[in-house]
Amino acid sequence: MTMKRGWIAAAVAAAGLSGIGTLAFAESTTLKTVQDRGTLLCSGHNGSYFGFVEVNDKNEWKGLDIDLCRALTVAILGDPDKNQIVPLSWAQRFPALQSGDVDVVIKATGWTMGRDTELGLQFSIPYFFGGAQLMVRKELGISTASELGGGTVCVAAGTTIERIVADHLKAENVEHTMVSFEKTAEVIGAYKAGRCDAYAAWGPSIAVLLANQFEDADSHVILADKLSAEPIAAAMRQGDEDWVDIVNWMLAALIKAEELGVTSSNVDEMVANPPNPTVARLLGVDAGMGERLGLRDTWAREMIAAMGNFAEIYDRNLGEGSPYKLERGLNNLWSNGGVLYTPILD
Amino acid sequence: MNAAPPAIGAFERLQRRAFRTPLDGLVTLVFVALLAGLAWQAIDWGVLRAVWRAEDVALCREAASGACWSIIDARHRLILFGLYPFDEHWRSTSAAVAIIATVVLSCIPWFWTTRRLVSLWIAGFATYYLLMDGSLLGMAQVTTDKWGGLSLVLFLFSTVVLIGMPTGLGLALMRRSRLPVLRLVASLLIDFIRSLPLLTTLFTAAVVVPILLPDWLQGDKIWRIIIAFSLFFACYQAEVFRGGFQAIPSGQFEAGMALGLGKWQALGLIILPQVFRHALPATINMVVVTFKETAVVIIIGLFDLLASAQAAFGTGDWVAYYMETYIFVALIYWAFITSLGRYGEFVKDRMKQDEH
Repeated sequence: MTMKRGWIAAAVAAAGLSGIGTLAFAESTTLKTVQDRGTLLCSGHNGSYFGFVEVNDKNEWKGLDIDLCRALTVAILGDPDKNQIVPLSWAQRFPALQSGDVDVVIKATGWTMGRDTELGLQFSIPYFFGGAQLMVRKELGISTASELGGGTVCVAAGTTIERIVADHLKAENVEHTMVSFEKTAEVIGAYKAGRCDAYAAWGPSIAVLLANQFEDADSHVILADKLSAEPIAAAMRQGDEDWVDIVNWMLAALIKAEELGVTSSNVDEMVANPPNPTVARLLGVDAGMGERLGLRDTWAREMIAAMGNFAEIYDRNLGEGSPYKLERGLNNLWSNGGVLYTPILD
Repeated sequence: MNAAPPAIGAFERLQRRAFRTPLDGLVTLVFVALLAGLAWQAIDWGVLRAVWRAEDVALCREAASGACWSIIDARHRLILFGLYPFDEHWRSTSAAVAIIATVVLSCIPWFWTTRRLVSLWIAGFATYYLLMDGSLLGMAQVTTDKWGGLSLVLFLFSTVVLIGMPTGLGLALMRRSRLPVLRLVASLLIDFIRSLPLLTTLFTAAVVVPILLPDWLQGDKIWRIIIAFSLFFACYQAEVFRGGFQAIPSGQFEAGMALGLGKWQALGLIILPQVFRHALPATINMVVVTFKETAVVIIIGLFDLLASAQAAFGTGDWVAYYMETYIFVALIYWAFITSLGRYGEFVKDRMKQDEH
């Protein structure tokens, strides 16, 4: 999402080497590399990114993306701590993936065509949906973006948001002025100071800011229309399908566990007494889960015992158990009004 | 006022300087009032109405409260040490102290001989590395990707200056060499590196080099960065030295030779001391700029002071207090850079004494 495409393009294209980087890794499978190394290399951040990648008071990483990395680590190596989180800037994440500095990028990364094709990446199934949204003062009495005519929109420079908002408002024929700033803090400052009528950003980020950085949170409103729906997924190097399978089924198992009601606290009972054949297969009571991926049969069981299912991970980092209290919304199971679903576990 | 003023009291001097005419007086009063107002605002916000302890963070939310230093209380270890493991912070502290001590000691004239300086720096760096890494001392190993915060900034800065300074001198000498090959190589290198932004140079070292080189030749990212950064520093410093060289009439060198000194002796005894003196102000400038530019490494994912500061307020509980965090970091930078500047003044004065 908030990345400067230019840098990556420059770094990778100027070297003209993304292809070579990919080829070098097509030979040895990532899974084998990780198992031999005994450590999974994941992407961190150069700072904190609300709820997804943060550092706690004990100088340790935490967040939704970090927990997914830890879950993947359990699935492969059986221990959530056998990973190394490499701090990466937004611009650096894909070159770092190509050069083998990390095995997988789980870093609030949107699935785009350019990344999928030109940058030589493969994406997992999406695990989060977020889109550009607008926040305005309640006193304006606006309820949709199309009523913003003649208004000023503040936005962070160089992000996909800037273009999305411009495209959307243009399509709706809304006359507007766009003011962009380098830093999020500056955008917020300008909005607070009344320099703009609306603040445009990634929906979850606005909610986080509104809850924590506005004394008068009640007098602002986040407009419901989502100007874009950005599927957030894990990114991997092209050419290692087995590795993509593992990451996909790691995510699928977490979501499936939520669907089936398996949690970190009841996983042992479920193993002792599986309520249905799907649970039995998921938790490795019936054989088959592991062999197909080259992992242990009990990988999902251990993963859920250590990290919880998707709902637990979400609540801990973004939901009720976090300072953000972000509603699940779109990021709920399909059966609860969201868009999260899994392939069939047969 | 050209003539030396007779001995006058402080009050009289103030009157002459600030209140000579009614307009002078008015301007003085207005600006003093403005400054006082600003200072009062700052003190009121930063001290009088401030909240200091992490436990009191709830008070920060009240409209009447000023700066919320609670974030520093709660998160200063993250800001200072980055991702360094919590229980091992004493090692990071001691390592940073070792580096600071090395820099301070090498500012003392007693150490200004090659042997003393070299042994001092080797000892300083060995202490730093052994403590930070820990594996050779039988402590839990902390790999370089976990190094961060202030200790990392100090390490980056001192290694870059330490490697870059002699390299820069070497390049400057090469550029003045009578051998065309040396001259050409130095000119090409200096012009090439200087035409690239620091960011590009570091990005190349961090990201592109690993794609080009085989695994065993890559080394740690931090060392690739240090080498690239040092090269960048050296190329600028070489030009600073070149300016110093050009200020010295060539007759001096010839005079030295005429006295029976060898080429290197004439260089070391006559030319270089003067070059250093001429180049000193610009060198101090380079050093200060380099200290601040270490913050650029944030972009290639090293967890420097600024990155860890951003991590400190980048969480839901603390996001509102970014201003306090930035002020804290600014004060740290200010303390170090002021000391560097002061030291520069001291050396300049000392060299002036030598001249007489």
